[in-house]
Amino acid sequence: MTLELQSVGRQINAKWIVHDLSFSVKQDECLVLVGPSGCGKSSTLRLIAGLDRCQQGTIKFGNRDVTHLPPSERAVGMVFQSYALLPHLTVYENLELGLRIRGVRIEERSRRIQHILDLVQLADRANHRPSALSGGQRQRVALARALLRNAMVYLLDEPMSNLDAQLREQIRPELRRLILDQGKPTVYVTHDQNEALAMANKIAIINNGEIVQLDTPIHLYNNPNSLFVAQFLGRPQINCLKPRDHQIQAIRPEDLKFSESGLPCRLVSREWLGNTQLLYLESAEGGLRMVAEPSFQCPERLFVTWQQSKVFRFDAKTGLRTS
Amino acid sequence: MTVVYLLIPAFLLLASVFGLPLLRYAWLSFHADSVLTGLQPIANDGANWLRLMHDQRYWQDLIQTLRFAFASVGFELLLGLAIALLLHQPMRKRGLIRSAALIPWALPTTVMALGWRWIFNTPYGPIDQFTSLSGISLNILGNPSFAWIALVYADVWKTTPFVALILLAGLQSIPNDLYEACTLEGASSFTCFRKITLPLLKPYLGLAMTFRLAQAFGVFDLVQVMTGGGPASSTESLALYAYWNALRFLDFGYSATIMIASFVLLSTIVAFGWWLMILLNQRGSMAVTE
Repeated sequence: MTLELQSVGRQINAKWIVHDLSFSVKQDECLVLVGPSGCGKSSTLRLIAGLDRCQQGTIKFGNRDVTHLPPSERAVGMVFQSYALLPHLTVYENLELGLRIRGVRIEERSRRIQHILDLVQLADRANHRPSALSGGQRQRVALARALLRNAMVYLLDEPMSNLDAQLREQIRPELRRLILDQGKPTVYVTHDQNEALAMANKIAIINNGEIVQLDTPIHLYNNPNSLFVAQFLGRPQINCLKPRDHQIQAIRPEDLKFSESGLPCRLVSREWLGNTQLLYLESAEGGLRMVAEPSFQCPERLFVTWQQSKVFRFDAKTGLRTS
Repeated sequence: MTVVYLLIPAFLLLASVFGLPLLRYAWLSFHADSVLTGLQPIANDGANWLRLMHDQRYWQDLIQTLRFAFASVGFELLLGLAIALLLHQPMRKRGLIRSAALIPWALPTTVMALGWRWIFNTPYGPIDQFTSLSGISLNILGNPSFAWIALVYADVWKTTPFVALILLAGLQSIPNDLYEACTLEGASSFTCFRKITLPLLKPYLGLAMTFRLAQAFGVFDLVQVMTGGGPASSTESLALYAYWNALRFLDFGYSATIMIASFVLLSTIVAFGWWLMILLNQRGSMAVTE
């Protein structure tokens, strides 16, 4: 079964917050929507879930056109950023609510909840209220609830943005396994590019309600179609050199090399990051970010060089890639 | 420890305006202090309290006061919830409509009580004018079976907006994505109301109920203006009875007894409400605000 969006759009106050958006997600595939805040990525998710109505285009789950179906009939499993757990119910009751609403028998309910609690490793927390759980545990309860839905499509709206960085890294592989094991199309929204690169089979970079580029993570990183994509993916951020002939040249920090001659630079500041160090340089081409070995003792003045083949060129006006 | 010292001025202020009068009344309730004693307190060994035990009018007034309080607060909670749910819906000019809904509450009680007294007036009020078209004159304020209902009606009219305001605040504290998650599970809006709105609104219902019960139990101005306690004392409240004993019969000793007795009763009711609210808070929406 494939999730398919065909030129979907939604307007608020005469402004398109999602405009002419088309993509398809196959089963077993996780598409990550990524972009700056307010770019329309969460709105897209809400359109797929049916929480908002589209004013344009069609949404299909396989052959079924769900564009005009209410959310309750779409069978989507969704994980909210806030987890949306009911504070007055225990973990078990939270999970049970949906099954009860859909009329699942009591033995069946208990069997499925036990199974899912084992899966997300929360069996010993079944009788706790959400307030007694840690952020990571709540997130797993929310995920468990989505999985219990037996959904056609899974939607995750910044599911990890309320967790600290360490926990996020810990949960990421687990989340990816749990979701992809379902073998259903999954759409995952985040503003964190690391998370996007880690979770995705494909990434759609969104800006102003439109897809800027949709591709595999590797291809996006190596072949950005615009300055926006190049700057959005990759940390430390790509270096932009002085514009020439209405062209912006950009080079990734890891592609800059030290040499005996080349562009003269002055060291402005450095960040030692353990397994690497980040150097901030000043040159005639403007400020440069550069990645170096952690043990490298950087002199005050140095020369850097790069292969011309590693340089991306963008039109200074449109920001689109020229070579 | 500094905290305790800093609280002393506030405590002294409260003690002087609440504690002292209360102590004075408690003391006075064990004294005869009326025209007969030349308005001088003379200890009477609990005769006031004995009199209270056997005072038919006091017990009648207590029942009437409780009847009024529970009837009006009950309706106010139901209606207030309905209005709060309506005002919570997205609509045009919501701010304006919300403010307009508060107007009855903003009116001084005496003003609106006078208004209602005229509306219920027989034979000049609009209600009597209307019913007399079909040949019936209910004489609502003159009938002991109806007069208290008219009071409840007026009180509900005035204070429902207050209840609605508290409940609206409660509704606004419930995150919208709880409802969205519930809808995605396939729930109807009634199920969402039962599973989300009601349980999470419980602490607010408790708060509104406690406030309103305390106020309704001590009702004075509304009754005084609308019916004066009549007809035949059928709408007389405890506060009114205490007031009359003190300022009409100039029996300060007995009036103090009534007030102390009412105070103990009211404190019990409020304490119970408060306890209930804390209990519900622990189970309810504490986690929402987190």
